[in-house]
Amino acid sequence: MSRQSKTLQKTCWLNWLAAGAAATIMIAGSGSALAHHAFAAEFDADQPIEIKGVVTKAKWVNPHSWLYLDVKDRDGNVTNWGFEFGAPFSLQSQGLTKTVLPVGSEVTVKGYRSKNGGPFGYSVTVALADGRVFKTGGAQDAPSATAQR
Amino acid sequence: MNLNPLESPVRRLGLAVLFAACTLLTMSGASAAATGAGKIPRLANGKPDFSGIWQTTSAADFDLEPHSARKDAPPGPGIVEGDFIPYLPKALEQKKKNFAARATEDPRSKCYTLGVPRGIYYPEPFQIFQRARDLTILHQFGHSVRTVHTNGTDHPLVPNDWWLGDSRGHWEGDTLVVDVKHFNDETWLDRAGNFHSDALHVVERWKYLDPNTIEYKATLEDEQVYSRPWTINVLLHRHREKNFQLIENYCYTLDYDQYYPPKKP
Repeated sequence: MSRQSKTLQKTCWLNWLAAGAAATIMIAGSGSALAHHAFAAEFDADQPIEIKGVVTKAKWVNPHSWLYLDVKDRDGNVTNWGFEFGAPFSLQSQGLTKTVLPVGSEVTVKGYRSKNGGPFGYSVTVALADGRVFKTGGAQDAPSATAQR
Repeated sequence: MNLNPLESPVRRLGLAVLFAACTLLTMSGASAAATGAGKIPRLANGKPDFSGIWQTTSAADFDLEPHSARKDAPPGPGIVEGDFIPYLPKALEQKKKNFAARATEDPRSKCYTLGVPRGIYYPEPFQIFQRARDLTILHQFGHSVRTVHTNGTDHPLVPNDWWLGDSRGHWEGDTLVVDVKHFNDETWLDRAGNFHSDALHVVERWKYLDPNTIEYKATLEDEQVYSRPWTINVLLHRHREKNFQLIENYCYTLDYDQYYPPKKP
């Protein structure tokens, strides 16, 4: 077999793999809990959100990390919000470890609300009280524009 | 009639049986010699070598505590020393809720990684590959891979919340002692809803009883869930069937099988 046809074969194989992956994402996107890595399955790009709160828990779990915040509304009622972050390794590579977000610290999350309307969202950035800002999203189909309220 | 017992047909049969038994004994002796004539397998550095495919025969995964038969579980004597898990009152309430919802809420049925120690007594085989510096534990269920470091290193200073925790082992004589922590709180300990938090700390003790049996003990500590540390004790048996091997069980891919191979439009 010539080198060219070998390369062609390899390319076809890669295309087939990509098609398979796309099909998997489409299936996953139909609303199952297995739809990890897809933004559109769970979050709404038309509902940007910016929210300030106090960290109650950080879960650096594969394939997605989560940060939970106690958020006070105008009437003083507190709701615990959960925000999906990227994989622990991608966060760590920017220096965003759990120790950077200790329980009790105040942070501001910019991102998008969940489609189910619950106190959940997809975080694009998290800003600390000292001014540091980290990019937190991991989904390839997530809007990257910074959310504006 | 031959009355000489030495010449009787019964006697002859007896001798034949004895001869066969001796032959068998010699043969089994030879095969035992292959694994060290009752001696446990060891690495070049002299440490016990747990390499092989292992599985429990206990009903532990159905319920760690003693339980009678249920529609969804065979009966079992449990593997908890002292029989019952010392839950804090609030945690016991949660355990009861888990038990009531076990048909749908067991993370195993969502194909989540089983965690430690559940993967060890889960009723599917797992394989150990061992070197001086580490053990690799490959579980058939979900093809989860766990590394137990035995190179003197300690847990990471900045941990994540791992499904299988972070495992660091050392040797106490011929017993491998493994310290496991930095878990997440997404896994259960069995199908009966016994659970832990992300503060779980496990100390495992792996010891050969004979070349084909490991005595596995694990002490679980979690101040958010239990009032004191507690210990489980289970035997692991080596798979010796001819050509036995792990078979892929990714579990979560099963729902997608119907789409492959892709149908022609």
